[in-house]
Amino acid sequence: MELNLAAMLDMAFQLLTFFILTFRPAPVEGQISLRMPPAQPVSPVKNAVQAGDNAANDDPVQGLNSLVISVVPNTAGGIGSMAIGEGLVATLTGLNDRLKAVLADQASPFDQVVIQVGSGLRYDALMGVVDVCTRQKLPNGQKLTKLSFVELPEGEAQP
Amino acid sequence: MSGSQYHDASAEPNLTPMLDMVFQLVTFFMLVINFKSAQLDMNLKLPVVGSARPVDTKGQEDLLVLNINKQGHLTVYNTPKDIDGYIAGEAQSSLLAARQKNPKLQLGDELPTTVVIRADRATPFHLLNRVIQECQKNGFRNFSLKAMNKAEGET
Repeated sequence: MELNLAAMLDMAFQLLTFFILTFRPAPVEGQISLRMPPAQPVSPVKNAVQAGDNAANDDPVQGLNSLVISVVPNTAGGIGSMAIGEGLVATLTGLNDRLKAVLADQASPFDQVVIQVGSGLRYDALMGVVDVCTRQKLPNGQKLTKLSFVELPEGEAQP
Repeated sequence: MSGSQYHDASAEPNLTPMLDMVFQLVTFFMLVINFKSAQLDMNLKLPVVGSARPVDTKGQEDLLVLNINKQGHLTVYNTPKDIDGYIAGEAQSSLLAARQKNPKLQLGDELPTTVVIRADRATPFHLLNRVIQECQKNGFRNFSLKAMNKAEGET
């Protein structure tokens, strides 16, 4: 006795057609994993240099455990200007070099970065800054993943 | 006539190998179909970031995917949602699930769920920040910012 396979083949072809037509491979997406606690006021480390102790003010970020990066957008929503602490940096490469230098110091107290962002900055420009930050390693060898965002009001003056 | 014997012969092809092959193809497409992509809004243009790593959940499957378009609207399974209400509801569900492991957890405590943010590259920061702050207010601390490794069309 022989089964008539033609009907089953018809159905299988219909299923195959359906799957081929609806097949859309998902693009391979990446991600940057962050631990983002709510932004805290930038507080001094215990027993650290207090404001006014350093009369020369040659290292204004000394004594803080949060490294502050400010990003001010231009009119198109891209990066207009950036500053780390109070020092201006022109490009993402410059930011990367400055961050590396700050975090390479074994005495560096920083374990998190607070990014002050202008409200009009586009997400892709922000991700450029986040990308640079998450590439950094802390003095203890761990990757920097602790970030907070603080929104600068619109029309904030250049850092 | 000498040719009459050929008229009687039946010419049915053997369909079994073809059916086997078609079933194999059907099985392949059924296995590679990705139902998870239904929760991703494919109209969003993600930013391109070199250091974005492929998704590694490290065994953790508790993810909250938020699609945010450039107008700052939140969509889930292509349905617009109210940001505050949706995140608060998800935080409540996450808290209930987390309490099975740690019954001492209270509302506002840190939740184990990772928030996956898929935002359009043109989204202004203040719209994105509203969503992030709402998540933080509800106890979410772990975030994954989605990005493409390379621009579309690049090989």
